[in-house]
Amino acid sequence: MRIGIFFCQIDNGLKINIDSVAKYAANLQEVEIVQILGVKPRINIDQLAETIKVNQLNRIVIAGDIPGYFKPLFTKAAATAGCNPEEIWLASFNEHGASGEDANERAKAIIACATMGVPFSLVAVGGGNPVNHTTLVIGGGIAGIQASLEIANAGKLVYLVEQNGTIGGHMAMFDKTFPTLDCAACILTPKMVSVGQHEKIKLLTNSKVVSVSGKPGTYRVKIRQRPRYVDIESCIACGLCSEVCPVKVPSEFDEGISLRKAIYIPFPQAVPNSYLVDGENCTYIQSGGQKCGVCIKKCPKECIHLDEEEKTIDIEVGNIIIATGYELLDIRKIEQYGYGIYPNVLTSLEFERLTNASGSTGGRIVMKSKRINKKTQEEEWYFSPEGIPPRNVALIHCVGSRNKKYNRYCSRVCCMYSLKFAHLLREKIPNVNVYEFYIDMRAFGKGYEEFADRIRQEGTFIVRGHTASVSMKDGELIVKGEDIFHDRLVEFKVDMVILAVGLVPAKGTEELSRILGISRDRDGWLSELDYNGNPTDTDRGGIYVAGMCQAPKDIPDTVAQASAVAAGVLRSHTSGLGVGNLSSISLTEFEKRAKNIKIK
Amino acid sequence: MAIRVNPGFIDELDRYGAEDVQLCYQCGDCSTVCPHADEYYKFPRKSLRQLQMGLEQKIETTLEPWLCYYCGQCSEQCPREADPGETMMSLRRWLIGVYDFTGIARQFFKSKTSEILTIVIIGLLTGGFFLFYGFQHGNIHIYDGKDAFLNSSFIHHFDLSFGLILLVFLLINSVRMWYFTMIKGTPLKIPWWMYLKEIYQLPWHFFTQKRYAECEVKRGHKVYMPWILHLGLMLGYVTMLILVMVFIEQLQYGPEIRWQVHFFGYLASLGLIAGTVYFIRNRFIKNYIQYKKSHSTDWVFVVLLFFIVITGIAQHIFHRTGFYEIANYIYVAHLMFVVPWLFRMPFSKWSHLVYRPLAMYFATIRKETLKRQEKLTNPYALSIK
Amino acid sequence: METCRIGVFICACGTNIAKIIDVEAVAQTISKLPDIILVKTYKYMCSNPGQEMISQNIKEHKLNRIVVAACSPNMHERTFRQALQVAELNQYMLEMVNIREQCSWVHKDTVEATRKAISLIYAAINRVKLHDSLENLSVKMNPEVLVIGGGIAGMTTALELADAGYFVHIVEKNSHLGGNLSRVDLTAPYFYSARDLISERITRTLNHTKIHVYLNSKVTKITGYVGNFEAEISKLNGNSKEKADVIKIGNIAVCTGYKEFDASRVTHYGYGKLQDVITSFDLEKMLKKGQVVTSSGKPPKYVAIIHCVGSRNVEFHAYCSRVCCMTALKYAHEIKSAIPDCYISDIYIDMHAFGKGHEDFYLKSSEAKTLFLMYEKNDRPVIHKAKPKDDCNLLIEVNERLSGEHIEIPADLVVLMVGMEARADAEEVAHLVNISQDKDGWFIESHPKLEPVATSTDGVFIAGTCVAPKDIPDTVAQARAAAARILARISKGEIEVDAVFSEVNPDLCSGCRFCNKLCPFSAITFNEEEKHSEVISALCKACGVCVSACPSSAIKGRHFTDKQILAQIDGICKGNEFALSYENA
Repeated sequence: MRIGIFFCQIDNGLKINIDSVAKYAANLQEVEIVQILGVKPRINIDQLAETIKVNQLNRIVIAGDIPGYFKPLFTKAAATAGCNPEEIWLASFNEHGASGEDANERAKAIIACATMGVPFSLVAVGGGNPVNHTTLVIGGGIAGIQASLEIANAGKLVYLVEQNGTIGGHMAMFDKTFPTLDCAACILTPKMVSVGQHEKIKLLTNSKVVSVSGKPGTYRVKIRQRPRYVDIESCIACGLCSEVCPVKVPSEFDEGISLRKAIYIPFPQAVPNSYLVDGENCTYIQSGGQKCGVCIKKCPKECIHLDEEEKTIDIEVGNIIIATGYELLDIRKIEQYGYGIYPNVLTSLEFERLTNASGSTGGRIVMKSKRINKKTQEEEWYFSPEGIPPRNVALIHCVGSRNKKYNRYCSRVCCMYSLKFAHLLREKIPNVNVYEFYIDMRAFGKGYEEFADRIRQEGTFIVRGHTASVSMKDGELIVKGEDIFHDRLVEFKVDMVILAVGLVPAKGTEELSRILGISRDRDGWLSELDYNGNPTDTDRGGIYVAGMCQAPKDIPDTVAQASAVAAGVLRSHTSGLGVGNLSSISLTEFEKRAKNIKIK
Repeated sequence: MAIRVNPGFIDELDRYGAEDVQLCYQCGDCSTVCPHADEYYKFPRKSLRQLQMGLEQKIETTLEPWLCYYCGQCSEQCPREADPGETMMSLRRWLIGVYDFTGIARQFFKSKTSEILTIVIIGLLTGGFFLFYGFQHGNIHIYDGKDAFLNSSFIHHFDLSFGLILLVFLLINSVRMWYFTMIKGTPLKIPWWMYLKEIYQLPWHFFTQKRYAECEVKRGHKVYMPWILHLGLMLGYVTMLILVMVFIEQLQYGPEIRWQVHFFGYLASLGLIAGTVYFIRNRFIKNYIQYKKSHSTDWVFVVLLFFIVITGIAQHIFHRTGFYEIANYIYVAHLMFVVPWLFRMPFSKWSHLVYRPLAMYFATIRKETLKRQEKLTNPYALSIK
Repeated sequence: METCRIGVFICACGTNIAKIIDVEAVAQTISKLPDIILVKTYKYMCSNPGQEMISQNIKEHKLNRIVVAACSPNMHERTFRQALQVAELNQYMLEMVNIREQCSWVHKDTVEATRKAISLIYAAINRVKLHDSLENLSVKMNPEVLVIGGGIAGMTTALELADAGYFVHIVEKNSHLGGNLSRVDLTAPYFYSARDLISERITRTLNHTKIHVYLNSKVTKITGYVGNFEAEISKLNGNSKEKADVIKIGNIAVCTGYKEFDASRVTHYGYGKLQDVITSFDLEKMLKKGQVVTSSGKPPKYVAIIHCVGSRNVEFHAYCSRVCCMTALKYAHEIKSAIPDCYISDIYIDMHAFGKGHEDFYLKSSEAKTLFLMYEKNDRPVIHKAKPKDDCNLLIEVNERLSGEHIEIPADLVVLMVGMEARADAEEVAHLVNISQDKDGWFIESHPKLEPVATSTDGVFIAGTCVAPKDIPDTVAQARAAAARILARISKGEIEVDAVFSEVNPDLCSGCRFCNKLCPFSAITFNEEEKHSEVISALCKACGVCVSACPSSAIKGRHFTDKQILAQIDGICKGNEFALSYENA
């Protein structure tokens, strides 16, 4: 073997000292030449071919952050120089996570493997630690629920930590789900129920992971549980307390389009099915027990304890699954859509709640009505069940997505749910006009394209052309757009605008990634260990990502990923595989492993 | 008949300044925010598209690029930072090249060296010529009167003849523009009287540049500096041009000032100095998005103009304060800037002075003819009353 | 026989049912019937409080028969059976009425729909009276697993299971593992090496002590039931003398993957006729060899890439193949970097750049000056030879939608991005393992959202591109999901089977053996000594064929006895009249 190693990057933000790595590479067996071509090099194919010929190279290693980017060019050069293109190997730093503290060592190991023609992922197998069979799942959305059930059904104990008062996450807020249009509640609630009833699942609501120590297989986790002020066991969810509670605040579950009391249950099918008190807004708690407290008197089961204290719980687990999900981009940043200025400009989630049967209007789609707020004596807009249904509605795709200023990435689900909205609107409001402004109709999943066609046939007016302007002219919303396919500028007077707002990682994600010591990509989503081969593990052993927190996903993909994580966890219990940090493997160990492997 | 796309076209336009046009993914945001896009002239998106696809024969017949005043709102809005505003600017440059039958304009836009070289050479020749002429026929210590170093009537004749030649160039190019946009560019049969009916468009747009102001009205600004100064600069320039072409002898007359011309002279200088300084400054500090990228020709334009104004004012001051010798030398320097400048006129940014009003004029004619023929389906048919 | 104390529970399913059916009225009307102890309605009967309500009332009012009128039993029968069990009532004392799919979702007229609901419930009440308590039986679970297909999905599933310590058999048709992915060099959007990925999987698979790989083989027969399947694996290498291996497994994972669309079916692309019109897989080969050249051996000046060949089109496949867009961008980059002075036109319908890193990749491709041209999915481009005077071999005519122009695109090389379609033998496999396919031939999961890997047949799981087109990360994730499901079941050791199956009454059986042949699940054998047929209960899927076929009506379908069914039918007729008593208030 006569090996030539070429370093070329496409980013200069690497944590790797190329020179030292190159020095190491030069001393590897059979390595003839090492060239550092730099960042985004302009490579002359003929010169390259010349180099290969002159040095009679019969194996070429391209080393860099994304070496595959340059491979076609090397392949051509190799071909012209008479070197077998099959013998071009990639030493891919990004793919194999050479970005942490051990970036240099990792890079060396990656190159060593490449020179031997051994896929790095074959030798990069952490493990060997004893594994605690208890698992921690962070986040009680559909991903967390699915993962917990998979593991618990295999008879292993699971701690499910949820920061809100109930599990269910965003999916519980939805009315129907695309493309089958079956109701989200119908398919989600049974799972929630079985989580609630499962003897192998310890559900910790109102809770947050505050610190993680220990090593893979035996993580010691400190969880802080905010007081619920209501005893889950004895509460029968009769709702008397809520009736008498004088405090009204916007309901988080209803995306603030309706009000809830200070003692409340997020939604009827909540799990655990018990009321909770929102300490920040409870008069009794805020006044230090001086004022109010009527709910205590009213409660028939005496299960309200407004003096309850915050608890910290310490547990030891073998594996940790992150399923923290997403939230909407703060749309107020993008003024031109007039959100927060014009009452009837809604976000997608607000509309989900509006059209939801259990929403404040009982599923009636109406425009906001005006009323005078008794306290502040100011007029405010709200959804009343008697409100007037809109006659013309505009749906705007890619709000803050695919946009260099906000989210560079595509949020993956907006196209489909916007189409779903169009359907719901036309179903619930006869002869409503629905206008959809889109750039690319991304109907990629099973049955999605067919769904899109169906919506088109239903007579939704679909405009190929985004819009950047929602304005108000004499009390009516005006949406301007360019209808590119019909080569005209359009201007619609509409009663309601629904913004398909882009998705961003949930609030706590950054903090959590710090606590757990796992990396995030440039957009803030958690990074998986290996994009193709290992999409659910992270660069930290025994820690996994599931669902939206890794990148936007629709429900089927989220569920599949959640189950996949469960597989990793269950496997680790019997084999200990994957539970161990790659950083703990020494360079010599990597080399040894690579030497001993026979590639089939 | 299918039109052939030319994928290589963006490479050419790259040299005219359209560096980012390939980033555009055709969302149409730019067209929705553009103050001037309407149902008849839909841009910038469509122009960008034609550029991306290299539909030259389409673009050379369009008026859209001239309807854009580069307020930059599209570029601010663009989700992919494809800079539609700058692209429209580059298209204007390219069109100037298309209208120009000599090909000099294209040369200037494509290579800054060739442009600067030309300017320097012409400048030196001019200098040499006038010094030679001056020392032959005049006295370096005399500025005005018949023994003046540069005798004003000679300058006058020089100006007129030079101006005449350039006028011919401009006329031919303008006719070509008319041919491209009004004959090749539209299937419409335009009735002759339409040209008369709309003729007022020319002076109106020339002297008000109203649409430039509209850009900012849309943005919600009360006063709009770029517009005021651009207008000032332009008016100043035109006044000065007329003064130099017609009243040069009055200007150079001395020793006492002839207020009936000098009054206008000072006013014009004021507009010119304010304008040039403002725009040079903006291009330096890149305060608005439309000044972020400056093509070499933009720099040459403002800088050359700036020096002309400075030297002009300087030689005037020295003349009036009695330093005739210095005044004369500066005068020659002044001419060394002026002549190349004049030479550039038909082949450079300057010519938008002519093409823009023409474009407005033509655009209105096309629109009116269309309306008349009721060929256009009402794009607002869909909007709900 | 003890007196029936029937409780009826009617679900509003949010507004799904209540928006058409007058739930309260139904409750009132029904409550008039004899033996009805109570009738209750609730917004979401399936929710926790809903179920508690049921078990509470069973306890309080000593109910011994329950009717739940809600959605399809397919969705929630298990849920409500649990509710009965919680209240220590035999779970088979439940009868579900589907007033959602069968009433509210299919009817518009409130009065009629409500009446229909009433009569359906009436019938159910008639039936439930005759229910008798049955006990489920549990069978032991064989821990070994069969994986059909040795592609990335199959190997991933197998490795997960084997690493967890269970024995796996992989059956692969070809002479080597790797499947379709082994034909690919680099993967979008990060240009990671597919070869590294696949060779890692292959090496680990072949080196694994707990995996047995059958190459050049196919599964020819599968008998048995969840936990105790028996599979027959025969070699494909011609000589049928070689006897087939028979293996015993508990679960089956189907990962048979996809096949690429045959581009020559799109006539006016002229694939196979026109030179220099190639498919994405042909190009992949060229790129691997490092020589992207036209038929004349020269590097192309203009390359055109056409998306959605065979996809997103009523004529061929309506669905999107999901991976082609990114692959096309990958090719655009690969060609451009191998031939820097070459112009690339990318002719697409919608750019599906939805995944992680995809949109950035699209942007990068734009920066590299790829010319993107959009066409209408039912107005496909036409390729024809260029004239000698042109500077290119081919011209592509298409109506470009974003410019509204009818254009022709110069091309020396045209790459057709062929979509994915179900394999020719998918139907065969479907029959083999008894799962169903959708209209496009993809295997159907038991629930598209919550059960993406399970199927209608217990113990059979699907993963990868045999379910629907998918990119690598999604395939790997799904493969692992399948593994997780199987692991969970194996680790339990045994599995419960419904008590619903048919029984032969030996006294009545004449031994005609009709049923033996008819049974689609070969669950009926003949007892030679006793001279009568017997049902292997665990195998029986309670389809009822034997019951109806038996000439001496010796076979009884448990939970579907003639009495019960007749009572239900009778109930429908009576119910119709009874329902008339409901007038729309």
